[in-house]
Amino acid sequence: MKALVVDDSAVMRKVLIGALARADITDVGQAADGQEAVDAVKAGEYDIVLMDWNMPNMLGIDAVKAIREQGKTMPIIMVTTEAEKSRVVEALKAGANNYIIKPFEPATIVSKIQNVLGKGE
Amino acid sequence: MKVEYINPFIESVYDLFATMLDAEVQRGEIGVTSAGGNPREIMALIGLSGPARGTVAISFPAQTALAMVGKILGVDTRVVDDTVSDGIAEIVNIVAGSAKARLTQGGGTPIDLSLPTVVRGNSYSIDYPSQAVWLEVPFTSELGAFSLRVTFDFKSPQDRKEVG
Repeated sequence: MKALVVDDSAVMRKVLIGALARADITDVGQAADGQEAVDAVKAGEYDIVLMDWNMPNMLGIDAVKAIREQGKTMPIIMVTTEAEKSRVVEALKAGANNYIIKPFEPATIVSKIQNVLGKGE
Repeated sequence: MKVEYINPFIESVYDLFATMLDAEVQRGEIGVTSAGGNPREIMALIGLSGPARGTVAISFPAQTALAMVGKILGVDTRVVDDTVSDGIAEIVNIVAGSAKARLTQGGGTPIDLSLPTVVRGNSYSIDYPSQAVWLEVPFTSELGAFSLRVTFDFKSPQDRKEVG
């Protein structure tokens, strides 16, 4: 099981890597913007992607669209401060599978990861 | 800028402390502040654009910044370095992002956020547009004191929804 964490904040990437570890996922790649994420997904196989929205070079929402246009079907969870309903709808239409709004409790993100991977209780 | 506009930002600070920081926080009295007035050692700023335009700034003594970023990462953090700046930038991003959704909770076009900027040092001043009115809220917390400053206004009355 391999995950890709996409966030321009290195601190937030560390937080998310910690959450993935609690979901027993320790093989984790990192990307600091949407373009890096698209390139990483093109170059390697990932089983789940955690995607921020506001990042330099390419927004997360555009990265989600580009990843789906590659034909990749792995679960993508948006992890973002963009909390408006219209943003959530936009992300789901673009191909995201779930949505986590910052700030979040650590337990919330672990359970959402497990849910999209079919490991939820 | 109306005083009640700052309430969503205050609520966002409380949410941040209740979730990712797991610490108590108390706000002080809301005041009006002038441009370069007494910034602390670290300040994180983020711009708002779209239906509302303005800036959100959170300023910290170094010890508070170290304590908050250390708490988020779950590690003892003793030096103000790029990691701490990164963490402080994410904190202002979360506070502003959470608040902007509350500001337009009745619907409408979402407010956009810029990428955050962090200023560090013992001797700097921040000059804002002269006509801007800044509201400032001091906070005390288990992790130290800090201040929230906000200035913004809606571009048109139609963009202003119920504000919490």
